[in-house]
Amino acid sequence: MNDGYQILSLDELEPLVGTNNGEALLLPVRHTLGLRAFGANAWTSQVGRHVVPPHEEDSGDEELYAVVRGRAKFTVGDESFDAPAGTLVHVLPGEHRVAIAEEEGTIVLAVGATPGKAFERRGWDDVVVAYAHGAAGRVEEGRAIMRDLPPDGPEWVKPYNLACYEARFGDRDRARAHLNEACALSDDARAYAEHDSDLDSIRE
Amino acid sequence: MKRVHVDDLDRIELDDGFVWRPIRRHFDIRAFGVNAYTPSAPGSQVVEEHTEATLGHEEIYLVLRGRARFTLDDAEHELGPGQLVFIHDPAVRRGAVAVEDDTVVLALGAKPGEAYEPSVWEAMFAAVPLMREERWDEAIRLHEDALVERPDQPALLYNLACVESRGGRRLDALLHLKRAVELDPKYAAHAAKDSDFAAIRDEPGFPA
Repeated sequence: MNDGYQILSLDELEPLVGTNNGEALLLPVRHTLGLRAFGANAWTSQVGRHVVPPHEEDSGDEELYAVVRGRAKFTVGDESFDAPAGTLVHVLPGEHRVAIAEEEGTIVLAVGATPGKAFERRGWDDVVVAYAHGAAGRVEEGRAIMRDLPPDGPEWVKPYNLACYEARFGDRDRARAHLNEACALSDDARAYAEHDSDLDSIRE
Repeated sequence: MKRVHVDDLDRIELDDGFVWRPIRRHFDIRAFGVNAYTPSAPGSQVVEEHTEATLGHEEIYLVLRGRARFTLDDAEHELGPGQLVFIHDPAVRRGAVAVEDDTVVLALGAKPGEAYEPSVWEAMFAAVPLMREERWDEAIRLHEDALVERPDQPALLYNLACVESRGGRRLDALLHLKRAVELDPKYAAHAAKDSDFAAIRDEPGFPA
């Protein structure tokens, strides 16, 4: 990396299992580059699987999808269409969107931010990267990312997420301590914890 | 939802040899800057040489198709499809030439810590073909539309004055030029050497 810029190939990025249904694989562009002005991540998947996870943007972000390689079938609202490489799709926050990879090696770049607001990372992509570190045995690297997560939503969410990470990959005592902290802040944490498989290792 | 293929975007050929393919304006994106660039001829510029010192944007240039040779300050890097350069330092001088004819570079940008505002150069670039064809009224209208959102943007006012001067609207040109100089005095020196103002240079009150 140069002082003022960084060169990156999307092919260098390890595809990571996301926190959704696991079909779309995240190529963590924003986390890797440390982008601060807008969100940008790429997605890939096997043929016939989601290459853009099904979702709406309740964050208020408008998003632009660019098919970088391969071909995808997008469905936005009620409309479905074929999107070969070079296709650009602009989607407003409330519109439901999903895309299926139709060729091996398909990559879709997603760029997003909220009009009228300075961009602030929400951390969901950092969590994906942290979990990948944890799953690969690089527990401390993942822990450092989890500790550096930005506040996202209510105050209990951050200690709750730390509890999940520690329960899955790290130290069970730390997991219990983080979960106790989250539950002390809100009954919502307790409600989530009842059904969260991330916490199975400390459930008894 | 709207969609377009990059090859179907407008083609606005600019003087440095690159072709601006406006994406942000096409979709009216309000949260970040995004455009594509293609070469006008084999080996021509595909990213204009510039810095982001004025706007403070961090930028990504992603090669969607073909190959481009980037010059970043004193270093050269040839990038192919799926490769990108992320330039977080606005002071880095950047530019690129197309190595292959069908090269497409996607450019993304915004300023960290601030809500995005569409860059004023977009209106100026969009007016270039109109000015080449001396369609002054349309070029003026395009600038006026941009000024609705940024009424005190000196570069826009200056360029509007240029178009008005060439289009024979001498009084409007003078008023807008004076306002641009009020907002940013550097435009007095620009105006003194700018041939666009030949028609109004001898008017009383010409601010240079």
